[in-house]
Amino acid sequence: MRGLLASLLHEKNIQVEFVPLSYTDMAAKLEAEVTARAVTVSVVGGLATEIDYFASKGWLEDLARFGTLPGRTFVDTALRVVDEHKRLYGITSFIPWMTATFVIVVNNEAFKYLPEGLTREDVVMGTEKWTWDALVAWAKNIYEKTGERRVGLPAGAGGLLHRLLHGYLYVSYTGYQSKYFNSPEAVQLWTMLRELWKYCHPESTTWSAMAEPLLRGDVWIAWDHTARIIAAVKERPEMFTVVPVPRGPVGRGYIIVLAGLAIPKGAPNQDVAWELIEFLTRPEIQARIAENVGFFPVVKEATPVIVDPGVKKVSEGVSRQLATLDGKPVFIPMLGGRAGDFIAIYREAFERIVLKGEDISTVLAELEPKLKAIFAELNVPEP
Amino acid sequence: MVLNVNPKSRLFSPHFLVLPTLIYLAFFTGYPILYAINLALTGSPPALLQVITSPRLREVLFYTIMIIASVIPLQLIIAIFTSIFFLNRFKGREVVLYLFILPLAISEVAAALLWYTMLSSRGFLNKLLLELGIISKPIYFFGYEFRDRTLLAIVLTEIWRATAIVFVIIYAGLQMINKEYLEAADVFGFNFWQKLRYVILPLLKPSIQTALIIRTLFAFQIVGPIFILGGEYVRVMATEVVYWYSMRMNTYMASAWAILIGFIVLILGSLYIKLIKPVEA
Repeated sequence: MRGLLASLLHEKNIQVEFVPLSYTDMAAKLEAEVTARAVTVSVVGGLATEIDYFASKGWLEDLARFGTLPGRTFVDTALRVVDEHKRLYGITSFIPWMTATFVIVVNNEAFKYLPEGLTREDVVMGTEKWTWDALVAWAKNIYEKTGERRVGLPAGAGGLLHRLLHGYLYVSYTGYQSKYFNSPEAVQLWTMLRELWKYCHPESTTWSAMAEPLLRGDVWIAWDHTARIIAAVKERPEMFTVVPVPRGPVGRGYIIVLAGLAIPKGAPNQDVAWELIEFLTRPEIQARIAENVGFFPVVKEATPVIVDPGVKKVSEGVSRQLATLDGKPVFIPMLGGRAGDFIAIYREAFERIVLKGEDISTVLAELEPKLKAIFAELNVPEP
Repeated sequence: MVLNVNPKSRLFSPHFLVLPTLIYLAFFTGYPILYAINLALTGSPPALLQVITSPRLREVLFYTIMIIASVIPLQLIIAIFTSIFFLNRFKGREVVLYLFILPLAISEVAAALLWYTMLSSRGFLNKLLLELGIISKPIYFFGYEFRDRTLLAIVLTEIWRATAIVFVIIYAGLQMINKEYLEAADVFGFNFWQKLRYVILPLLKPSIQTALIIRTLFAFQIVGPIFILGGEYVRVMATEVVYWYSMRMNTYMASAWAILIGFIVLILGSLYIKLIKPVEA
């Protein structure tokens, strides 16, 4: 990031200070500065879900007045989120910056233990046969042959396990992220996950990102965010294959993550801020971002000539996932200040059903009203 | 020279002199505490009540007590014995002393990562035991299924990391003890344990008190090591504050937990002061 910003200084004589902040710190800072009318931040970069929270609080400028950005075509999936914000908050709250998804990384060793009826081709291309049940069978086979539980999930404190639940499994089994939270299909989902957990590495509950466990060889099959596995694939591209996620009875659910750039309300140097946004969305800069952080371009022209073999591998895996015919891409729902509560419900379900072994229907029936209340309160359709 | 002191100003001036401190305390300590109490009592039902009635409370208290009740006494005992040990003058004493205090300079997160790497299923310890043929399968310390062992790992990490601070206080206190008392004890033919029981410990009480208060205060603040070693499923009071503040964006619940911690620490602190009365020297 600092390298990129140096070239901006060189080109336009714009000096940008990059301050990496966690979401919580960023939210606290913005709240303090906007309320005190003493904003010091000119541009905020963050996930669309985070910017959603800022927009819901009215902390952002309407970017419509800056006009358009020539010479680049934003991908439709990204523009859909911008439109969603426009509908919810009445402003153009952000400009798409980069995108990512969650995929599965396979240590090539694991292909030696494929279960009967599943081929490497099925897994790599994401065919009909590459289902969550097939993954369970594969994991079981590895366990029986090697005696080790080789599947890894980021179920630690900072891990993104909840995204697997609402954006992947629920969509694959029920067609929706929340609508059929408590349904026979959902029971089927949780039964499968319980079975899969038997073959998941027990230390999974302490992992927040899967790159390290993959590199150490603790796990052979891991699901995680592209930015959280790319370090492993970059370091040992010959060791890993990046594959689409498995499918469920209804289709292949997956999340598209979007990051954007916004300008806080009352920010200083707004015109220069817009020039920074213009710079960061240029095709050639987008390609460089992809190589460095594992988030991919949102601008079609950037379809990059990627040099790094690891990044190329991940990018190919992502493309194959996007190209699957049964794919059901979803976005993380925009829930403003209730996003944390939404996540907590799925994590609680996981803890109680999978870890503590409580009865599936009881837990789901107990949590469902809490989930529905969030959407009712915000008056948004259940995703 | 005659100093003409106006009795009125004499009455006034001592208060006037502490005024800046009072303002400082009121503003930087009093106000935030009151603000947090206010936050903790907001909501329906009030956040503090939600905390006290939450199903997580039992589990959280269990882990908090387990960790604190095993770490602090062990640290105190280790600190007292090592302090006595370091009273001996031996060659290389300074080096050993520095090594012993070294973990104090390492951040708690770094220390936790160190122990995680050492104790994980493919870590140093398991590799060593496997190499030596003592075990045939790795011993797991981490993960939900092995929560009890994780507790052990947390206690080990904490003892390794933070015993030094207790030691520094106790060691300083021990050096203050007049050697004549110990010599007198020798004259009376006290053995080591008698000296410890009747001379050292009573005279060490002020230091023990300070060490206990400081260490208990810090023990309630451990967050990083618990998240790293225990993941989300070993929950203590401090991690609940972080959970509600940063993951749920709920300042009310976070404040409620924080107030509860403050309250418990206050009670423990006053207990230490009451129970460990220093003897008049």
